This record gives sequence, C-alpha cells and structure tokens, in this order.
Amino acid sequence: MKWNRKQWAGLTASAAVLVTLAGCGSGAGNSDTSNAANSTDNSTSSASSAPVTLNETGSSLLYPLFNSQWIPAYKSVHPNVTINAASTGSGKGISDAVAGNVQIGASDAYMSDALVQQNPSMLNIPLAISAQQIMYNIPGLSADKHLNLSGDVIAKIYMGEIKQWNDPAIAKLNPGVSLPNQPITTIHRSDSSGDTFLFSQYLSDTNSEWNTKYKYNTTISWPSLGNRSIGAKGNDGVVTQLANTKYSIGYVGISWLDKATAQGLGYAALQNKAGKDVLPTKDSIAAAANAMVNQVPDDERISLVYAPGDNSYPIVNFEYAVVNSHQSGDVAQALKDFLQWAIQPNGGNSSQYMDPVHFLPLPSSVEPKSEAQINKIGS
Amino acid sequence: MRAASRASKTADIWFRVVAGLCASTPVLFLVVIGVVVLIDSIPVIRYMGWHFLTGVNWDLGDMYGNMVVRNGVSAPAGATYGALPYIVGTLASSVLAMLIAIPVSVCTAVILAYRVHGPVKSVFSILVELLAGIPSVVFGLWGMVVLGPWIVHDLGPAINRVLGFIPFLRGSAGTGLGLLNSALVLALMVVPILTATTRDLLEQVPVLYREGGIGLGMTDWEVIRRICLPYVKDGLIGAVALGWGRAMGETMAVLMVGGSGMNALPHTIFSPISTMASVIANQLDSALTDATHLAVHALAELALVLMVLTLITNWLARILVQRSSKTLREGVRA
Repeated sequence: MKWNRKQWAGLTASAAVLVTLAGCGSGAGNSDTSNAANSTDNSTSSASSAPVTLNETGSSLLYPLFNSQWIPAYKSVHPNVTINAASTGSGKGISDAVAGNVQIGASDAYMSDALVQQNPSMLNIPLAISAQQIMYNIPGLSADKHLNLSGDVIAKIYMGEIKQWNDPAIAKLNPGVSLPNQPITTIHRSDSSGDTFLFSQYLSDTNSEWNTKYKYNTTISWPSLGNRSIGAKGNDGVVTQLANTKYSIGYVGISWLDKATAQGLGYAALQNKAGKDVLPTKDSIAAAANAMVNQVPDDERISLVYAPGDNSYPIVNFEYAVVNSHQSGDVAQALKDFLQWAIQPNGGNSSQYMDPVHFLPLPSSVEPKSEAQINKIGS
Repeated sequence: MRAASRASKTADIWFRVVAGLCASTPVLFLVVIGVVVLIDSIPVIRYMGWHFLTGVNWDLGDMYGNMVVRNGVSAPAGATYGALPYIVGTLASSVLAMLIAIPVSVCTAVILAYRVHGPVKSVFSILVELLAGIPSVVFGLWGMVVLGPWIVHDLGPAINRVLGFIPFLRGSAGTGLGLLNSALVLALMVVPILTATTRDLLEQVPVLYREGGIGLGMTDWEVIRRICLPYVKDGLIGAVALGWGRAMGETMAVLMVGGSGMNALPHTIFSPISTMASVIANQLDSALTDATHLAVHALAELALVLMVLTLITNWLARILVQRSSKTLREGVRA
C-alpha cells in the first residue's frame, strides 16, 4: 500500500497526540523514575569518577548562596558533582525533600514535630545563620537614631492595641525622642515566608496574648486592622511598601538592610531577653547564636530567637538543609561530601561566600552535632 | 462523483480519530481538573461544612503544635478556613474592574472602528493589543509603585470629596493598596481584550445600517446607541464574560496590589482585599508543611469555589445571549 502525504501527516499528528497524552499521564511519576535511574546508575559504577547530580529546591533566601556562591565554588573542588538549585519557597523545599524529588530541601524554618514524626528519616542540618530587622518609615526621625522597641510592644502594634507612634508604651522605651502623633500602619509578608516564621516567634516569645492567638508559622492569620494593616509580597514588596507608606512598620530580612536604609527607612534596636536594646550587627547576631549553642538538640531543630545574653540580637535563626538520610550509593556519598564542605569554616561557611549574601557562619561548637547528622546519610 | 479510494478512506478515519482526540481535550482537562480539585476538597468540606463559604476567619492553625480531630478530620489546633472575605474580594474587585473597563473599552472601540483610519488606526490598534501582552507582574509592580501613592495623595481624597456621601466610598485611602487599586489594575488588564473584540464586532455592523441612521438625521451618539450597540450585543456579552473570567482568575497583579486583607470583609473601596487566586499563590508554600495536609485541601476547595464561580458567570452570560437573540428574532418577525 502506498501512503500519500496526507496519511503521513495524519499518522504523525495522531502519534504526537498519543505521546503528549502519555506524557501528561505519567508526569507526576517522571521525576521519581529519573531519580531512581540516577541512583542505580551511580551505585553500579565506580565511586570517585562517576558524575553525580544533586538537586536543591526551597528557600528564596538561601537560593543566592547556593546559586551564585556555593555551586560555582563546589564545582571547582568536585568537578564530577553537579548541583542544581531552584528558588521555590521553603515549604516546597521541605515537601520535595520528603517526597524524594530532590536531595536537598533548603528551608528557613525547621520541620515541625508532627512532620518529623511522619518522616523520621528526615534530617534538619543548619547551613548558615541569618537575622531580621524591624524597620519603619518615620519622616523627621534622624537616620542615625534607632528607635528602641520590644517584642511585647511590636506584638501590641500588630494586634492593633497600640495605634499611634506617640503611644506611652513606645515613648517609655524611647525617652527624649519626639514621636509623631500619627497612626501606625503595619506591613507583613503576604506570601509564605521564613521571615514571618522568625518574626512571629519573637512575638510569641515576648507577648503571651500573641502566643495564645497567633503563635508562629510561615503564614500567620493576621489580625485585620482595616487599611492600617496590609500584606506585601516578598522582602522587596515590604521594603517598597514601607518606603511608600509614611508611619509604617515592617520586618525585613537582614540581606535587605542596605537597600532598605538607602530608601530612607530606619531600623530598631530590639529588646533582648536580658532587657538590653541591641542593633543587628555581626557581633550581636553571632552572640545570640553562641548563647544558644549549648541548647541545640541532637536533631538541631531549635529556635535561636530571643536568646539570652546582654549582647544577643533577639531575631536570629539557622538556615536549614532538609535531607532524607535514606540515600543510596554515590548520591549519599556526594551529598555527605557536599554538606561537610558547606558547613566547614574553610569551605562553604567561609566569609568569601557568606558575606556577599549577608549570612553569618555557624558557630564552631555546633559542628559535631551537624557532623553526626550528616554521617547518618546513607546508613 | 469521485469514488473514494481506500487510501483516502483510511485518511478520513485517521482524521476523525485525531480531530476527536483534539476536540475532547478541553472537556477532558476541565473534567479531570474538576474531579481532582473536588476529591482534594473533601476533607475540608467535612471539616468546615458550609462555614467554608460563610466564615470570615482564615487560619492555617498551629502547625508546630498538636493536632486535633474534628468531624473525623485531623487538623492543626486552631485551624479554621472561612473563605468569605476571599470570595467577596474576588467578586468585588472583578465586578468593579468590569464597571470601569466596559465603558472605556466600548468608547475606545467606537473610535478605532469608525473614527480613525489608515496608519493612525493601525498604530492605535497595535498599542491596545500590546497592552494585552504586558505580563501581569509588571502591572502589579506599576500598581504598587505608581498607582498606590497616586491613590493615597490624589484619587482617594478626590473620591472622598466628590462621592464621600456614599459610605462605601468614604474613608482614609490608607496605603493605596486594596480594592480600588486591584480594580484599576484589573480593568487595565481587561481593557485590551474587550477593546479588540468590540472593535472587531463594530466593524461588522453593515455600513448601510449606519448610513440609514445618519440619513434619518440621527446623531453619532444615537447611531451608536440605537443601531451599532444593539447589533453587536450578543458578541459584546460574550466578550464581557470572557474578560470577567480573566479578572476573577488573575493572580499575580492582585496579589501585589490587593494589600492581602484577611479575616475581615472590605468596609470601603480602600480596604485591603485578597482574591481566591492570590490566597492560593500566597499560602501554598506554608500549606505544604502542614503535617495533616488539611491546609492544602483548604486551598483546593478555594480553587473549586473559584472554578464554580467562573462557570456560573459564563453560564449567566450564555443565558443573557440566548435571551437577547430571542427578542431580536421576535423583533424582526414583528
């Protein structure tokens, strides 16, 4: 039988449709099979020279550290290991790591107890230390003057109990400062965010009403204060909205500090557990981390917020790699090697990688605990 | 008549199979998405019941604390999913956007169809269509950086002065983000679709009809009002339904300029709002870390409600079209 052009066209089209349909049908399973294929490949070939791919998804805060610092640096040390990074949000990072879609889930928040009970093979390994500052737009307040604020007062502002900047509670913390008689607009993150997690932990630690009603999470059921309370997307959105809105207050990740002050925003000295007002500096953030080191449990899931010590800045956290300890062969080895390198002060934790993205290195005393966790991988 | 060869009969069979497959994909996808979303919503339907549609408070609950069981569904303590503010936010912002967009689009389309010709017309048409190609995130950014401050300083006070006697239009403009900003940005995004469709429709009005009107001594406005618009009414309703659907489902721009209002219904046109689509985008990442998965199910039910609302608007538009074409036919018969 001779086939003419039309028949061929028909056949091709129908084949294309069938292939597309088949592709759609197995879409969800695709990544798993490719991962499985990867790992079997790797385990059968020799250890040192076989190319291995590690995939990372998660925190948008950690993404610049992975993508522009660690990946190129690690490539030069271990050319046979390819790392792919994607900025998807911490929650997606955790769920991808749990589902086995990726080897590393980057997260600003550690996994909850309930999630760890469901997935006991998951490890939370600190990679770096980050912090957050409370920022405000008060015209007329000189730029080098930092307001003193406490978690309790900030919680009351966000719950609408303190409405004006010249409220006695704020004035009491700032003797001698002339505070404007203006209503406060609160700005929070509308998207799921590690910054919201940190901020709400500080409020929960310092205000019992907040702790009862709102607790802490990457998304909060924010109290509605009419149009005196709004949400903005991302740190960039919060900074833009703070700059646009006079007499507003908001929380911003430390990596945005320079950009935000350049737009005329001020940032507060926060009252720590010892009752001292502390500005976010390298020293005060490191002091907070060091003060918490002896409380870090073996699984390293801990809040560093509201640390004791005169010099400790109160809003500090670990940034995590969430990994599954069940990994096979070369992938396990490559993952262990990479994480070992990442937490070393002369490896991924050196200031040449940390400084450009405004992270601080881990305190050296948590290293043994991280090592112990990393050694669980593949066992 | 040519006798069909065996080869061309085979080709015909192939054609039927391929065309059938292609034609069934929209229905298939709609049904599959609908079923998936419905199945995903079942735990929350059991947990919340009708309160999902009437409740005002939305709280993912204490995911880092203990889990509780209610109505046989386990949930983080304190979790409650009341979607009414988001349903109202979606409807209010999209309806307000259509109220702004329809007159603007119709007037633009009239000018493009009847008043300008040659190169001017093509340049204007290209500009309008370019507007449709701007990514929504750019509209969102513009709404935040330009429109927001303008609402605070100029538009808000002006509305208060002129229309302040209406309670819903009275009040502080706040941060400039909210219902009004969302509606303006959405209107701008819908205008190109509406304008292009209306222009094409108006160009199909027979010249004889318009000339007849002018010959009877009708003014320009009367010709458009009495002859052109009634002629294109069906198509216009279809275009409005399409634009409305677009406005209801738009995510990114509203997420950026809506102010993410929560736990309260909008009191004024300046109140912060969230739409269903923007809540899904905002909260999905947190929802993924809910050990009970109930938060993801709640977002799935939001998607279900949004889908049903979109279907209802389309269906309403269809009814309107049918009714108006019936009266038109009766009119002709009379």
